Amino acid sequence: MSNSKTLTFAFMDPPFESERTVTFFRLLDAALEKNANVRVFAYEGAVALSFSKQAPHGNAVHGLNREEEAHPLSKDWVAALQQKATGKGLTFEWINCGLCVDERGVNDVIDGCGRGGPPDLWRYASKAFNTLTIGTR
Amino acid sequence: MSDYLFIQSQDPFTEVRTEHQFALAGQLYDAGHNVRLLLVQNGVTPAHKGARSVHFDKLLKWGVPVLADNFSLKQRQILEKDLKENIASSSLDTVIDALLDGEKVIWN
Repeated sequence: MSNSKTLTFAFMDPPFESERTVTFFRLLDAALEKNANVRVFAYEGAVALSFSKQAPHGNAVHGLNREEEAHPLSKDWVAALQQKATGKGLTFEWINCGLCVDERGVNDVIDGCGRGGPPDLWRYASKAFNTLTIGTR
Repeated sequence: MSDYLFIQSQDPFTEVRTEHQFALAGQLYDAGHNVRLLLVQNGVTPAHKGARSVHFDKLLKWGVPVLADNFSLKQRQILEKDLKENIASSSLDTVIDALLDGEKVIWN
């Protein structure tokens, strides 16, 4: 791990549902821009953010094919942040709550995302310089 | 004395709980703590000139520093000149700076 401070984020919103998801990813990007190591504990619907079988689609209503629609996928945003962290010599760790994963059947995740449970959130928060929890309500 | 940054994503026109969120921020400020608000998402709506939110406007009147996320403003076509006095536009860097400074950062 680099000598930078580490920030932990806990997030529970699923992909493609809420504006909070966009704000959450903006925060992660801003943290890396500020040279902070990032740890994410994803629970409830947020465990689907790193689901590897997400697929882009076209938009027949607007007459756009898949490439033209360029539908954003959260798994790609996670991967982009992983790459950004690597490029800056920072760490970017991501753990999904295992129970939440099983409930939703989203076991297939992109490389670099792991499976864990509430003790990992405790470990993340205990060892981080600071923690932000983004609740749904 | 502690430093608090409240990230206010909920707006007072659709979320009744914001009354209590603003009240907590006001009470902490009144007790001598350093309190700031960063408005994001629909939380920026009471920042618009002409928007009336008793509890939010009270914080402004007391002098609680209020910032508004420029991305959220842009999404809603709210220009800086449309903001009430004493509200400045900002970026999410404010959140990261606060976290890295050890402030208590709370998402509403």
